[in-house]
Amino acid sequence: MSADVGTQLRPVVKQLTQEKIDRYAEASGDGNPLHTDPEYAASTPFGGTIAHGMLVLAYLSEMMTAAFGRAWADGGRLKIRFRGAARPGDTVTASGHVVRVTDDGRVACAVECRNQAGEELLNGEASCPSGEAPS
Amino acid sequence: MRFEKGQRFGEVRFELTPDAVREYVAAVEDGAVVALGGDAVPPMAVAAYAVRGLLSEMPLPPGSIHAGQELEFVRPVGLGETLAVTGRVLSAGERKGWTLATVELDVRDGAGQPVMCGRATLTAPVEAA
Repeated sequence: MSADVGTQLRPVVKQLTQEKIDRYAEASGDGNPLHTDPEYAASTPFGGTIAHGMLVLAYLSEMMTAAFGRAWADGGRLKIRFRGAARPGDTVTASGHVVRVTDDGRVACAVECRNQAGEELLNGEASCPSGEAPS
Repeated sequence: MRFEKGQRFGEVRFELTPDAVREYVAAVEDGAVVALGGDAVPPMAVAAYAVRGLLSEMPLPPGSIHAGQELEFVRPVGLGETLAVTGRVLSAGERKGWTLATVELDVRDGAGQPVMCGRATLTAPVEAA
């Protein structure tokens, strides 16, 4: 795969469950009850628990790691907005494509995560030194 | 808690132990970690543990929401490294019953060199903030 504009990154697909959200809460130390307490979360505008934004973002980072290897950890940048809530039972797909290659060789990608209904969970841009072309 | 522009948090030190990183990788089901090579830690693990450190100093009220994130990974971080995170409120305000704040985080290694930096945009219910 080349780093040409339009090149698609290989998507990462994950099935979310409450157990996985609880496990992330434990690993990350983020015990916000919006993520882990169904009774509390039911009383919020979300109506139920939602995944941590950083968990969904980790799926996107996995996609960038798979595409760019060590270069992602060695100069990678991202800027995203969370657009919707990922919920237990959702299938989350992280995807992206190359939008430009800068003069200094950075590869910039438009990135997003969507659920199984096609609803946007996050979007933004991630870029990487182009030591390695996306694979 | 209430956010105030200029407010600072940390420094909080944290170690990326093999057990902690293994727990993180399992939790996010990261199947690409081998592509990092060597003993490099997934960059989002560094971010997650940095945020964990900051949350120990600025506990967010229940119902807080992560609205946006910027991150720059300056260099790969290896297993077993001890890092330090500091945070600073860049902006804070209230709108329609919610506090909106942007918090800058800065993560450095034992030599004081930057390894990761970023900005998180957070919202929290005003009555609880």
